[in-house]
Amino acid sequence: MLWTLLIKDLKRARHNPWPYLLNLALPLCITALIGLVFGPSSKGGGLGQIKLAVVDEDDSVLSSLLRGAMNQGDFKKHLEAHFLERNEAFKQINDNKISAVLIIPKGFTRTYLAGDGPVAFELIKNPAQSFYPAILEELLQVAVTGLNAVARNLRSDLPAWKEVFEKEGRPDMKRIAELMVRVGDKFEKAEHYLFPPLIGYETTTQKKAKEEGPALNIFAFLLPGMAAMFLLFLADHAIRDLYREVTARTLDRFRTLHDRLLPFVISKVVLAMAVVVLGSIVMFGGGVLMFGIHWQRPLAMAVVILAFGLFGSGFMAFIAALARSERRANAVNGVIVMCLSFVAGSFFPARQLPPLFRDHLSPLMPNYWFIESLRALQSGAVDMPWRWAALKLLVLGLGLVIAASWVFQRALAKGIRA
Amino acid sequence: MSLLQVTGLCKTFGEVRAASDVCFEVRAGEIYGLLGPNGAGKTTTISMISGLLRPDAGKVAVDGADFWSDPARAQKIMGVVPQEVALYEELSGRENLEFWGRLAGLTAVETRERAGEVLEALSLADRARDAVKNYSGGMKRRINIGCALMHRPKLLLLDEPTVGIDPQARANILEFVRQLGAEGAAILYTTHYLEEAETLCSRIGIIDHGKLLAEGTLPELQKRLGGDQLFVLEGNLQQANPDNWPGFRERFRIIQKLDHQLIVSSQNSRHPSECLRDLLELPVRVENVTLKRPNLNDVFLQLTGRELRE
Repeated sequence: MLWTLLIKDLKRARHNPWPYLLNLALPLCITALIGLVFGPSSKGGGLGQIKLAVVDEDDSVLSSLLRGAMNQGDFKKHLEAHFLERNEAFKQINDNKISAVLIIPKGFTRTYLAGDGPVAFELIKNPAQSFYPAILEELLQVAVTGLNAVARNLRSDLPAWKEVFEKEGRPDMKRIAELMVRVGDKFEKAEHYLFPPLIGYETTTQKKAKEEGPALNIFAFLLPGMAAMFLLFLADHAIRDLYREVTARTLDRFRTLHDRLLPFVISKVVLAMAVVVLGSIVMFGGGVLMFGIHWQRPLAMAVVILAFGLFGSGFMAFIAALARSERRANAVNGVIVMCLSFVAGSFFPARQLPPLFRDHLSPLMPNYWFIESLRALQSGAVDMPWRWAALKLLVLGLGLVIAASWVFQRALAKGIRA
Repeated sequence: MSLLQVTGLCKTFGEVRAASDVCFEVRAGEIYGLLGPNGAGKTTTISMISGLLRPDAGKVAVDGADFWSDPARAQKIMGVVPQEVALYEELSGRENLEFWGRLAGLTAVETRERAGEVLEALSLADRARDAVKNYSGGMKRRINIGCALMHRPKLLLLDEPTVGIDPQARANILEFVRQLGAEGAAILYTTHYLEEAETLCSRIGIIDHGKLLAEGTLPELQKRLGGDQLFVLEGNLQQANPDNWPGFRERFRIIQKLDHQLIVSSQNSRHPSECLRDLLELPVRVENVTLKRPNLNDVFLQLTGRELRE
């Protein structure tokens, strides 16, 4: 009987495929939207160039050296530095054209070399962006740590450097060369302390990762969260065929032939699962094509997605049975899915939520199991074993399907109409 | 042989008593009409018989066995045609028939053969492959009936199967139902159309406010009015009070009294001309008197005090 019911729905879908195609277009649009919001795709899994405006109010030789460093080597690969006036820089940040403005204050070189007192760069971050400004802040911290280290270790040479930088006219290259030799000598003497370094890293792992694909891709982290929410929406749309069967009285007709509703509900859940799986293929496959994500364990991922498909479809069938009418479901389902998604960490990572959510509520959410197990599969973490998560989703999904059938049957026996 | 026996069916929705102590039976080869206005309890009764609703009290026996003791057995015997067109509009007529046939337990081969037969019988063979959404109202109604016939049910429940279709399509469906009855099926047919009940049904039950008020053949129901003729008096009867007319109540039964019309039947089998003379002598100004044969509407009028068409 289940096969007959499924074939009927597949025939209906074949004759009128538009609702299903539109449903599947939804995740495709969302994936594309994420791509547009967070930047262009990158096969290397990187974040692309970060645009930074530099306002050099000091206009000294040292600040020129810093400016020059930003246009060289790896910096240039990841940073697109624009040297602007303060007003123009602020205008660009207001127009969301750059991620941050770095201001080198007037008198920076003099104060730094004289060691007179604390001196500070000014970093103004673009509030409309999330990741790029944070990355720039981290980079600036590294630069500040480096400058502090230089200031502390070469304190005795700094006045001489100050003299060179403050001299009018062209820099005295002979004097600079002498100072460089002194600095070189100091580094040479410190070689025994510096080399070999006490802490190092091996490059072999990094090379392997480069051959196979990116080890960490920010979209691989984001996508499971977004997918969990949109897959629930897809399941909701697909399961609503139950209401159409009620309003068209075809479900009543079925009930005049069979007194148990379970096969009918199962057929709708299987159909919704198929839609969820197709939606997953679109979203996660889209992630590969658009963001260059290399999914680390596709088979395990497929099992988790399938289990989540059963849970999502069963959950939506249960809500449908409780809501009893499509009008009520319209009002309720969106809110439920959004709340679940928030608590489970679809919008913000669950570990950044307040302690009540992070420690008590989020771990209870089935969509949290889905999101975290996919992230764990991708990162290799072991805090959310995917097998256990999939098993929990499967068992819960089955339970919800049975409960949905029971509630729906009781409601229909009482004479409700969708 | 009684294929359907309904005893003391009751169903309440909140404050509303949708069915109250409904009792009747339908025999093989018989078309039993359940006649009543909208909201009388016809669909509730059929829903309880077909298992869609659990009765609060009462019993439904299908082919001698209680429905709820073995629903699957009862469902195999009966075919249900719902009031609404319960079809998949995207699918063709044949696909709909085959789907419901498979659900009713037929094999794939049986289903294909039977769908062909049903399509022929319903004169829809040439449109079998068209999507139902492209059918006319009458064609949809016919396929709606056909889906219930796929497993050759011995008992057929038809819930107002001709609502909203043109007279020609209605005539075709009535003829088809008549044939099914002639072939030996027991048919329960609900309707609010008097003509359908009068021309199609061998026995009729009149239902209103969830109660079965009367049942019997058409002549038996007509006899309840006291004869085979009714007298319709027309005139200004606003001030008239029949209780003040000497001997009137002993000779006539009032079926309906309106400001401009009085319908009565004779209390005993007197000759119509004699009755007519009595009526013309009434102390009231009568402009016109006509005679007519009583119909089901008059029976309903006598039972409920209002017309079925109201």
